[in-house]
Amino acid sequence: MQWRWDFTFEILPRMLWATGNTLLAALIGYAIALVVGLIFLLLQQTRFRPVNIITREIVEFIRSTPLLVQLFFVYFVAPQFGLTLSAWTSAMITIGLHFGTYMSEVYRGGLNAVPKGQWEACRALNMGPVRTYFRVILPQALPVALPGMGNYLIGIFKDTPMLATIGVAELMHTANALGAETYRYLEPYTMVGFIFLMISLPTAAGLRKLEAAVARAQGKIKR
Amino acid sequence: MLKTFRTTALAAIGGAMLFVTGAGADPLSDRINAGDPIRLGFATAIPWAYPGDGGEPLGFVNALTLVVLEEMGITNYEASVNEWAGLIPGLQANRYDIITGGMYILKSRCANINFSDPIGLFGDAFLVPAGNPKNIHTYQDIITTGAKLVTGAGFNTVEAAKKEGVPDSQMMLVAGEVEILAAMKAGRADAAVQTFFGAMEHVDKTDGQFEVTDPKDLPVWTQNWVGIGMRKADTEFLAAFNTAMAKVIGGEAWMAATAPYGYTKYQLPAADASTEFACTR
Amino acid sequence: MSYFEFIATYLPKLLQGTVNTGLVMLGATLLAISVSLVFGLMRLSRSRVSQVLATIYIEFFRGTSLLVQLYWVYYVLPLMGVSFTAMTSGILALGLNFGAYGAEIFRGSVQAVPRAQWEAALALNMSPMLRMRRIIIPQTFPILLPPAANLTVELLKATALVALISVVDLMFVAKQINATTWMSAQAFGTALLVYYAMARFVLTPFLRWLEVLAARKMGQDQGS
Repeated sequence: MQWRWDFTFEILPRMLWATGNTLLAALIGYAIALVVGLIFLLLQQTRFRPVNIITREIVEFIRSTPLLVQLFFVYFVAPQFGLTLSAWTSAMITIGLHFGTYMSEVYRGGLNAVPKGQWEACRALNMGPVRTYFRVILPQALPVALPGMGNYLIGIFKDTPMLATIGVAELMHTANALGAETYRYLEPYTMVGFIFLMISLPTAAGLRKLEAAVARAQGKIKR
Repeated sequence: MLKTFRTTALAAIGGAMLFVTGAGADPLSDRINAGDPIRLGFATAIPWAYPGDGGEPLGFVNALTLVVLEEMGITNYEASVNEWAGLIPGLQANRYDIITGGMYILKSRCANINFSDPIGLFGDAFLVPAGNPKNIHTYQDIITTGAKLVTGAGFNTVEAAKKEGVPDSQMMLVAGEVEILAAMKAGRADAAVQTFFGAMEHVDKTDGQFEVTDPKDLPVWTQNWVGIGMRKADTEFLAAFNTAMAKVIGGEAWMAATAPYGYTKYQLPAADASTEFACTR
Repeated sequence: MSYFEFIATYLPKLLQGTVNTGLVMLGATLLAISVSLVFGLMRLSRSRVSQVLATIYIEFFRGTSLLVQLYWVYYVLPLMGVSFTAMTSGILALGLNFGAYGAEIFRGSVQAVPRAQWEAALALNMSPMLRMRRIIIPQTFPILLPPAANLTVELLKATALVALISVVDLMFVAKQINATTWMSAQAFGTALLVYYAMARFVLTPFLRWLEVLAARKMGQDQGS
């Protein structure tokens, strides 16, 4: 089968429009995951043990099961309990929950990297919890958590093609539809791969730069 | 993998020989003559074609195909279940040998695959909530009410809706029949457009939650003949299939095999229905 | 239909799906390990060409989405005359994709082996191959196993994607049951439970055992 450039340019506008949707899905999903991760983290850090244990089990369960199955579960099962969620909403909830579990681990890794003595010093200096967190703990935890947080942004982006299976009109969904309309699959699928590469490579490079910059700002450049 | 490689190599050699001598049977006939099973490709679209609990091919298109194959003396077959939108690329990728999904014979499809003679004439219909609250009977009603219309990716109805002027923003494309009903049950869409049979099946399945509009309300041009899809290369098999089908179509075995799925003599194609004509539409 | 009846009715199908998931998992793991070794070593090699080739491979497979790669192998490659069965396509895409991640883990762990070990092997006049095989690689195990274990669980989860190219795995069976019975909660819920059980009670203990084993071997080696 021959690559057809005229066809490539013909479908390019639709593909680019769908790329916008893909990016939107990734960013919204990421924003939700950031918040959900924080909630999971707090629930796991509470002093009330049953909440700790239950949260940890839920996190473990979500982390060890496939995102694709979870997508179908939310999409098909939620309506049976009277929850009518659009494909978009189902997708965003599932991505947020799934990657929220990863995010809580990343946060925890960052917090654990802050030496115990820092907390004690804050208490000795009579700092309130807000100041302790924002002035002392987070500035030290963030550089540790940043690489993980960045990786999951790219991770979510690369998992968005799965959303096509429940009908979210992102890039893969558009490629499927174009294939079904024109019976040409070579160009749409190859273009999806190419677009993904064109976005994820610079993003990864940018994140590495950001990490380096943060590390430098922390005076940690010499390790 | 070794076996795949060997068959690929054999097919390549076979193809080369065909090219040199310009004679010999087509790849599918060769495959069948070699004793390999014929592979039926379809999606889950009850009652047209769907897999049983053991993966066996059910639905009336599969059932009548098996009647024709038996007439041809072929009883060795395998089923391959796919997404609807992947049926034609799967056939072209040699993942199965014929498409028994119940595909409408359409101009755009004829450009890519061959079709057998028609196995029946079928129309589409809307699936709407019981009582038809938005009073939807045609594509125009969808446009004027601003209703959300769900259908399957790669379905003929996508093209039909677009031609009738339904904007993209009102359409929701899902993977297949199952997802269509899921969208309707969840209230994600106000109406679904699918084959009349498919819509009836969904009504039966949800006892009274939905109803089907009159298929005659839809434009005549959306009525379609259905054929069995085949690769362009398999011309001899196609001819043999059509010859065998002419003998059994509408016969006792044909009607008995398809009756459980709701296929009646009203679906039988007119005697002068031809794939050539259907392909021009 | 009670959940008990549901399980009784669909147990054979679910089992068949689980077995196929296991097969895909096994095949993809073996392929991913081979790919990791080859491209990990290429990235470490002194030859500029193999470094660049390996980097391109790794960035390519990590930069494009797994599902895209899967569709590409299944639908596009055959158009160029290269056709694999659905199962083989699935194993191929998964193995090549996860191999790219594995290669980076392998490279990192080799680089984490103390410099002195390399120098000692050099002093003993070992050939580069022998040095890698006998001295360096055994010492990478304790370093690479924890991240490799995470990657393996990710691989198990990723196998669910092969359902989309018609491999009759656990996810495919769940979809099929959902299509015919509309018992969505039971179908997908059971699939989730089985995936969880495989990850938590089969895969994780096995990988933990490997980690303990590697640690113990290392300890013995140092002791003798």
